[in-house]
Amino acid sequence: MLELLTYPPILKGLIVLLFAGISFPITGLYLLKLNLLPLRFMLMHGAIFGGALALAMQLNPMGTTILVNLMLVLFMTRASRTLRVDAGQMSTFFMVITISLAFILIYKFNVPAKDTLSILWGSLYTLSWYEVAGVVIFSLMILAFQLIFNRQLQAIFFDREIAFTAGVNENAIHYAIVIITALTVATAMKLIGALLLDAILLLPALITAFKVKSFHQAIIWSSLCGGIFAIAGFFLSLAFDIPASSSIAVLASVVFISFVIFAKK
Amino acid sequence: MQPFCSTLKRETAGFFHNYKSIIFNKIFAAVEHSLIVSQEDKIVFTSDKHWLHPLFELEDFIAKEKIDPITLFLRDKIAGKAAACLIVRHGIKSCHIELLSERAIPVFRQHHINFTYDHLVEHIQCRTEDLITDRMSIDEAWLFLRKRAGRVQGLAVKIDKLSVNRGDKEIVKCLDLEVGRGEQLIIHGANGSGKTTLLKTILGLVKPVNGSIQIGDTIVGSAEWKKNRSQTGYVHQENIKNSFPISAGEVVEIGLSAKKFTSQELDYRVEIAMRRTGCFHLLNHSFHELSGGEKQRVSLARCLCQNAQVLLLDEPTSFLDSEGKEELLILLKELSQNEAPTILLVSHDFQWIERLEWIKRELKGGQLC
Repeated sequence: MLELLTYPPILKGLIVLLFAGISFPITGLYLLKLNLLPLRFMLMHGAIFGGALALAMQLNPMGTTILVNLMLVLFMTRASRTLRVDAGQMSTFFMVITISLAFILIYKFNVPAKDTLSILWGSLYTLSWYEVAGVVIFSLMILAFQLIFNRQLQAIFFDREIAFTAGVNENAIHYAIVIITALTVATAMKLIGALLLDAILLLPALITAFKVKSFHQAIIWSSLCGGIFAIAGFFLSLAFDIPASSSIAVLASVVFISFVIFAKK
Repeated sequence: MQPFCSTLKRETAGFFHNYKSIIFNKIFAAVEHSLIVSQEDKIVFTSDKHWLHPLFELEDFIAKEKIDPITLFLRDKIAGKAAACLIVRHGIKSCHIELLSERAIPVFRQHHINFTYDHLVEHIQCRTEDLITDRMSIDEAWLFLRKRAGRVQGLAVKIDKLSVNRGDKEIVKCLDLEVGRGEQLIIHGANGSGKTTLLKTILGLVKPVNGSIQIGDTIVGSAEWKKNRSQTGYVHQENIKNSFPISAGEVVEIGLSAKKFTSQELDYRVEIAMRRTGCFHLLNHSFHELSGGEKQRVSLARCLCQNAQVLLLDEPTSFLDSEGKEELLILLKELSQNEAPTILLVSHDFQWIERLEWIKRELKGGQLC
C-alpha cells in the first residue's frame, strides 16, 4: 500500500490531510465555542456560489471560493454588529441569498450544475503543489494563531464581556476567529467536500468535549484526534479503495458514537 | 612587647569600634529617623518618613522578613491614638515614645503593650487623631488609616451627570456618584431599575447618552482607559451558560489575558490569587462542575489576578445556596479589609447585603437615593 505514496496525487493527499487533520479541528472548537454553526452552513452555500462564479467567469475555483467565503463572513459579521441582529439569523439570510445567486449564475451562464456541486464531494487528489503548500502554510497559521493568542481566545470563549473587562481586544480577535474559520471551512470543502467537512472539523472537537476538563486539553486532544482520523482514514481509503473523505467521516463517526455511548454509561 | 602592643591595639580598636557603634546608633536614632525598630539591641528597621507612613512601612517589613513582631522593640518620636492602633495591629508588644498623646494610653493598656515615654501631652496636633473614634475596633481603625494613607488597592470612581438609555427608555437619569478609594458601596433596587446597566456602563460595555465616568485618573472610553481597562474587574450575575471545557485555573488566568508573562510567572500569579480566595485546590477542576460558591471564589480570584482596583459585582449571590452566601460574605469582608479594592456591589438580596455592613444606596427612577 505504501508504494501508492510514490504517486504525487496520493502523496499530496497524505500531506494535506496530515496538516489539515491536526489544525482544522482547532477551528472546529472555535465554531462550537462561539456557536458559529449557522456560519458553517452559510459558508457551504457560499462555496457553491463561489464555484458557480468561478466556472461562469473562468476563474480559479479554490481561490474564488475562499474569496467569496471571506467576503461573506466579513459582511455577515459587520452587518450583525451594525444592525444588532443575531449572527445566526444573519448567516441564514446570507445562506439563502448566496444559493439564490449561485442558481442564477448556473442558469444564466449555462454552468454545468454537476461541476458546481462537485464542491460537495471534494477533490483531495487533484490538488496542485501550490495548493498543497497553501494548505500547509494555512495550517501552520492556525496553529500559530492558537499558540500566540491562546489566553485571549480562552477568555473570549469563556465570556466575551469578561474578556473585554480583562483588557482583551475581543472585537479584533473575534474577527480573526471568524475569518480563520471561514478560510478553514472553504479549504476543507475543497479537500473532503462540503458534506463531510464536519468529520474533520467538528467531530474531533465534539469527541474531545466529552472527556477533557480544560481548554488546553481540548486543543491538544482535538488536534490529536483530527490528525489520527485523517491519517487512519486516508490509509483505510487506500486499503478498501473507498473515497478518503468517506473513510475519515465513517471513522470519526464510529469513534464519536462510541464516546456518546461510553459517556452515557 | 610586640604581641602585647598588638593585643592592646586590637582591644582598643575593638573598644572604640563598639563605642563608636553605640554612639552612632544613638545619633542615628536621635537625629536621622522618626521610627527605629530593634531586635535584640540590633537596629533592624528605620524610617524617616512623616505621619503614619513609617508604621505602614514597618508593617510591610515585618510581613516581608517574616519577623515575629513580639521580638521587636519600637522607638517612635510621636504617637497618638492612630499610631497606637497601628502598633497594636502590627503585634508589637514593647515600645518607647518620645512624645505620647494621652489618647494612646488606653489603647496600649487595653492590649497589654509595655510602653514608656519621655513627654506626655493631652493630645497631638493631628486631624487623624480626632477621626479615630472609640467605637472603632483595631482592625477598623487600621483599615481606615490605610485608606487615609492611600495604601489601598482601590481607585476612586466618580460618575458625573450620567444618563443611559436602554432602547428608547432612559434607564439612568443624570446620575452623580462618588466612591472613594478602597470604599465599598451596595446598590440595590427593584428588578429592571438599571443596576446592571449602570455597572455595564462603568465597565464601558454600554455607552452613555450623557455624562462621564472617571476611574482613578482615567475617563471611561478614553484612549488611556482602553490601555488600562483591566483595572476594573467584573463578576456578572448570569451563570456562564456554555459548558465547554475550561478549568478553574484557566478561568483565573483570564484575568491576565491581555498581559505578557512567562508561563512560570503566570502560574505563580494564578496560584497566589487562588490561594487568596481559598480555591487553589480547585485549580485543575472543570469550572462548570464547581458549586455556585466555588465559582464565585474562582471569579473573585480572576479579578485579583487581574489586579483589578475596582470590583463590580452584579448579583453575586444569584446562584448561591446559604453556605455559598456565607462563604462569599466572609471573602468579601476579607477582601475589603486586606486588598481593599473599591467595590460596587449590586444586589436585591436584602438579608445578605444587611450583613455586609457596607453603605447602601437605592437605584430608583434612574437616580441613586
